This record gives sequence, C-alpha cells and structure tokens, in this order.
Amino acid sequence: MNHEEQIILYAANQLDEQTRADFEKHLADCADCQADLIFWKSVADEIHASDSLVPAPAQLADSALEVIHQPNKLARALRSTGQLLRMQILIIHNELWIGSAALMFIFLAMALLVERVEVLYFFAPMIAAGTVTLIYGSENDPAAELTFATPISPWKVLLARLTLVSAYNVFLAGCATLVLLLIIPPQALGEFILGWLAPMTFLSALALMLSLWIGTGNALFIAYLLWSAQYASLISFGEWFAFASPWLETYRQFWQNPAMLFVFGFALIVFALWSSGRDQVQWRRSITM
Amino acid sequence: MQTADLAIHWNPQETQPAMTQPAEDLELIHRMQAGDDDAVRDLYAQFGQRLYAYALRLTNDPASAEDVTQNTLVTAWRTANKFRGEGRLIAWLLGIVHHTAMKAIRNTPQFLSEAEETIPEILPTPEEQAQVKEEKRWVRDGLQSLSAEHRAVLELIFYQGLSLNEAADVLKIPVGTVKSRLSYARQHLRGVLSRTEENWR
Repeated sequence: MNHEEQIILYAANQLDEQTRADFEKHLADCADCQADLIFWKSVADEIHASDSLVPAPAQLADSALEVIHQPNKLARALRSTGQLLRMQILIIHNELWIGSAALMFIFLAMALLVERVEVLYFFAPMIAAGTVTLIYGSENDPAAELTFATPISPWKVLLARLTLVSAYNVFLAGCATLVLLLIIPPQALGEFILGWLAPMTFLSALALMLSLWIGTGNALFIAYLLWSAQYASLISFGEWFAFASPWLETYRQFWQNPAMLFVFGFALIVFALWSSGRDQVQWRRSITM
Repeated sequence: MQTADLAIHWNPQETQPAMTQPAEDLELIHRMQAGDDDAVRDLYAQFGQRLYAYALRLTNDPASAEDVTQNTLVTAWRTANKFRGEGRLIAWLLGIVHHTAMKAIRNTPQFLSEAEETIPEILPTPEEQAQVKEEKRWVRDGLQSLSAEHRAVLELIFYQGLSLNEAADVLKIPVGTVKSRLSYARQHLRGVLSRTEENWR
C-alpha cells in the first residue's frame, strides 16, 4: 500500500490499529503526507457533513412494501376492468335493460304463436342495434361531461358499455333460443344461433358507429332501413321492381354470410372505438355547442 | 497543523457510520427471505439514510432518489436469496442503489445536466469568518464540479465507509480504476484549491 492510499484510508478511518500506528509514526516526519492528509480530511469532513444532513424520507419502507405486495399485472388489469364495467352499469339507462327484455319476450311469444323462428331472426338484431345506439353520447349519457373528465379514455368507456350491452343482448337472444327449442329440432341449434348472432353483430356495430357520427335517431333509422331492405322481396312490389331483384339477391346473401358479417362487424366496432375520441363525432359536438 | 492535532481531533466515531455485524446482516436477509415485512422496515431504519444519501448524490434529484431507494428495497426483498454474506450488507445494498440509479439516469438522459444547473449557488461566506469556512467552500465547490463517477468513489469511501475493494464491487469497476479515480479527484480538487487561493490573495 503506497502512502497516498494510506492517507486516504487513514482519513476515511479504515486502517486497522497496527497500520494506523505505523502510519502516524511516518506522518510525524513527512510534510508532504501531512499536507495531503489535511486535504483528504477536509474532503472527508465535507462529504460527511453534507451527507449527514440528508434526511431519509419517512415512508419509503412502507411504500416499498406496497410495491412488494402489489398483485401482478394481470390481476390488476382484471380488477380495473371489473371496476370500469361496474361503473358503466350504473350509468347505462335502466330502461335499456328492461325494455330490451320486454321486447324480446314479446317477439318470442309471437314466434311461438306463429311457430316461425324467422320472427327471432328478424327482431333480435333489431333489438340489439337499438340498444347500442343508446349507450353513448351526450343525448344518452346523463354523465357525459363527467365521462370526458375522467382519466379513462373514451374508447375504453365505449368498449366497456358495448361489451355489457352486447353480452346482455346475446344473453337475451340465447334465452329466447332455448325456449324456441320447443319448435326447432336440437340438431339445428348451432345454425340457428349463427342465424341471429352474425346479423346481430354486424347490425349492432353499424348502428353504434352511425350513432357516434350522426346521432341515435338517425342511426336507428338508417340501420333499420338497411336491415329491412333484405326482406323487401318478401312483399310483392309489383312487376316494375323486377330490374332490382339481382342486386337485392346479392344484398340478401350478404346478410346470410356469417363470416362476412363478423369481419365487417368487427371492423366497424374498431372504427367506432377509434372515433369515440374524435371531435367530429356527435356527442362532442353537441357538448361544445 | 501537527500530526498530534490530527490524531486528537480525529474522532473516528463522529465520522464513521456505524458498522453492522455480519450476523445481524444475515439475520435481516433471512427474515426478508422468510417474508417478514418488518425486516424491510428494520433494514430501512438501519441503512435508509445512507442509501438515500448515495441515491441523492447520484441522481441529484430528491424525487428520483426516493424512487431509487424504494426500488432498492424492493430489489433487495426480491433478490434476498442472492446475498450469501460474503461481503457486508451495506455494500451489497449500495451496489443495488448504484445499478438502479444508473438505470434511472440512463432512462432520462437530460437529467443529470439539468439537475446540476439547479443546484443553488452557495452564498459567499462573510470575510470575517475567514479561512475555515473558505476552505470548506472550495471543497464543496470542488466536489460539485467533479463528475458523478468520481464523486461516487469519494462518497463510497468517505461517507459509506467502504473499502477500496467494496467500492470497486459497487461500481463494477476494477480496484485500479477506483484508485485512479481517487488520484484524479485529488488533482482536480487541488486545482480548484490553488485557483481559489490565487483569487483570495
């Protein structure tokens, strides 16, 4: 160990007894080492003085323990999702739950009465589309301004409500389907469910997207018009509509193609979620006016 | 100043942070491994000030120093089984502080330079209080003008009471580099001193 090191360790009080004593003997005769020691001692003093004044924050151990006992990311995400969903149940109109259940009941009774499953095919998507147009925007949401003030982004709020309402719609239609097992053979069940689920998905997505951009009333009108148009040929319009029948046929096939309906439906939902945060959409415009 | 004066006025207990016994170190670690929350509180009560002081020197920002210290406790808890008692617990903990602080500084590249600018100017000492304070001032100024890596070596040895080898472990550099940093720090501070003395005359 050279002298410079010894001086530093001496100033830092890290020499053992023996080395320390030996070094002090040397120090007595060495002016250079004395000067160096004074220098290192003032450095040590200054560092020690300033560091001792640093106060340790009081609550760090407890906040560290909080981090240590924090549930993992997945559990946290699930919990905050649960909170968001519960919050949205309170905000969505009560009438919506009761109304759509009542409508479903009426149409189910009608289907049983006439023994035609087509009644459900026709009305289940319409009920679903009707409900989703009512879940978002200042005209439907009494707490719309509050919704924008929360740190949760609009698309998450919209997705939460859409999830809740859609799940409810599927549940209602599913219940109706079970009752209709009275008049349909069990082996046709899968096809039957797809028969209303696919159009329901697309029509709901379309109605949701439209309701964001042009308002609930307009969205309902257009969605119902487009939906009913496929049944146009069921009613006889007369000879002079014949030229339109090939187009009508193509159009009707679209509504009977589950794959296409799902793909376009999900695309519309993504678009609706994206547009939920944009200024142009209906609810924001009506608030700023 | 005579050697005798140095020896007399040099009270080791004043300048040296309390050293812990290896047995106590291991007991704390075992309690953390066993999931004892109070071990974290005891650890913090015992070493918190020193860990926070070192974090503050490295980051120059109280908020990030708090984050670094908190993360150090969390890391110590999660990696308690890696501490086998070969060295002192404080050295191991300071190594975690150093690693965590460097990561934090890397993630905010502007941070160090900005923070250094915000260090308040030290008020000039009244002349009548003269040389003792003047001497302190140049040391303080000199220390602040040192780079973080040189300052870190001085902190570890003079405040934390680490040996050269322990400091090398904390900084993840060879002992030779620790020594050369000390030499550099001495040269640098001496340079500041001589300039100050010239101005003073």
